[in-house]
Amino acid sequence: MDTGIRLALTLSQIGVVMGIVLLTVALLTLLERKVLGWMQDRMGPMEVGPYGVLQPVADGLKLFFKEDIIPAGANKFMFSMAPVLSLVPALIGFAVIPFGPDWTIEVGGVAFKPFVITDINIGILYILAFASIGAYGVILGGWSSNSKYSLLGGLRSAAQLISYELNVGLSLVGVLLLSGSLSLVTITNAQEGGFWNWYFFAFPFPQAVAFVVFIISSVAETNRTPFDLPEAESELVAGFFTEYSGMRFAFFFLAEYANMILVSCVATVLFFGGWHAPFAFLQGPESLHWLTGMIWFTIKVYGFLFLFFWLRATLPRLRYDQLMRFGWKVLLPIALGNIVLTSIFAYIFSGN
Amino acid sequence: MKLKEWVKTLIFYEIMLGMKATLSHLLHYKPITLQYPHEKKSLPSNYRGMLALLRYDDGTEKCVGCDLCEAACPSRVIRVVSAEVPGEPTKRYSKEYYMDMTRCLFCGLCVKACPVDALGMTQEYEWAVYDKRQLHLNKEQLLAIGDRNFPIREKRLEFQHPNVAYFNVGFKELPQKVE
Repeated sequence: MDTGIRLALTLSQIGVVMGIVLLTVALLTLLERKVLGWMQDRMGPMEVGPYGVLQPVADGLKLFFKEDIIPAGANKFMFSMAPVLSLVPALIGFAVIPFGPDWTIEVGGVAFKPFVITDINIGILYILAFASIGAYGVILGGWSSNSKYSLLGGLRSAAQLISYELNVGLSLVGVLLLSGSLSLVTITNAQEGGFWNWYFFAFPFPQAVAFVVFIISSVAETNRTPFDLPEAESELVAGFFTEYSGMRFAFFFLAEYANMILVSCVATVLFFGGWHAPFAFLQGPESLHWLTGMIWFTIKVYGFLFLFFWLRATLPRLRYDQLMRFGWKVLLPIALGNIVLTSIFAYIFSGN
Repeated sequence: MKLKEWVKTLIFYEIMLGMKATLSHLLHYKPITLQYPHEKKSLPSNYRGMLALLRYDDGTEKCVGCDLCEAACPSRVIRVVSAEVPGEPTKRYSKEYYMDMTRCLFCGLCVKACPVDALGMTQEYEWAVYDKRQLHLNKEQLLAIGDRNFPIREKRLEFQHPNVAYFNVGFKELPQKVE
């Protein structure tokens, strides 16, 4: 009985979160083209619906009805698996993101948290692990297509993802040292009270540098401009998904945008206080925390997503050797130095 | 100086400049593009668009079948088959007149070459077709293009003022005709 209720609750939670994430992806595809267009003195899509707002629907229909081509000589099993391997890890990371206050509700004798699917105590590790698995989808998709462009794209992204995952992981260590926990819920709760408690500004050692490293690395990890080497249009037709069409292509596309949302959520939770408002009075009364919390979370996440678009509109693509040099010779030492300084400060000010 | 460069690198000064530029375009959003099929750019009056054959105001064709346009054309678009006007041995006309618009580069030399102003350049430019044979135009099609683009026509040469007719033929560059 308890198991049944728990299962129903968790499944409905997963359904809601998945729905919101996929809707956000649909919105992002439109928003990106619009914002990019506005920044480049264009209008963006204008044809479907008023001001082109129905463009995601049209795109989705088009992708759904397109022919699904498997190129000759492709490894069929891997070719079909790669998009799934890429999409599932991107979506699965949302299981540990706290979207709202850390409440516990009793439903039919089962305690569950309405604003986080599961509060496991190794949340960040879990996200990092699945982000690494996402790299497999990209690499296998590139390899199994039997195309040199795909293979080159896959190889590039293999090197890039491995290099920059390291920096993502190391840049988060500072926050973990300060909070003393890997659980995203605990980390969010530790940043309560006002923006000076957010780990971006937090007292013993502000994690601003770590945040910059994290943002740069996560832009690289989600294959976005200026680090979109794996799918450089002007060099490798479309990189690792050159040979994909129809729904398989849509899976890669969804994975890219879901990853963007995921890293924005992680940045929000770890550095910018998650659902907490910058000032306590903006949070409203205790009973309204769920609403204001979700609103603040959404605002912050969309701020980061806008930053992604903004960077894409501004910066040209890096050369491959620049990318590698920047990752290993600049970001890595900075992240390591940040860990050393943070641990020293955390030791001095920990009070024992 | 060295220190200044370092500080600039550390705070991403160059990237900030670029991002400021893109943001200012976002804030002062003023698109320079046109929603093409719905709104169209106004063309300059001397725009060289689709070619057309013209008529006089009584409906007779201007073309006298002299082949000068064919000779002037640099890409051999035009083919003229000239013949005597039936019953009028002193006059000639173009029995057949073909233009292969797939090769035309819209230089306007044929229009310049024509001694009787039988050719005109219209403002039409939406001539994308699915079958390129549709761009191989015959005399009737060219006359139809002329009819729909030049509703105001000239009088026949023999009814125009002699001086005007003279200038029309010989020195097209000098005085402009009033339509």
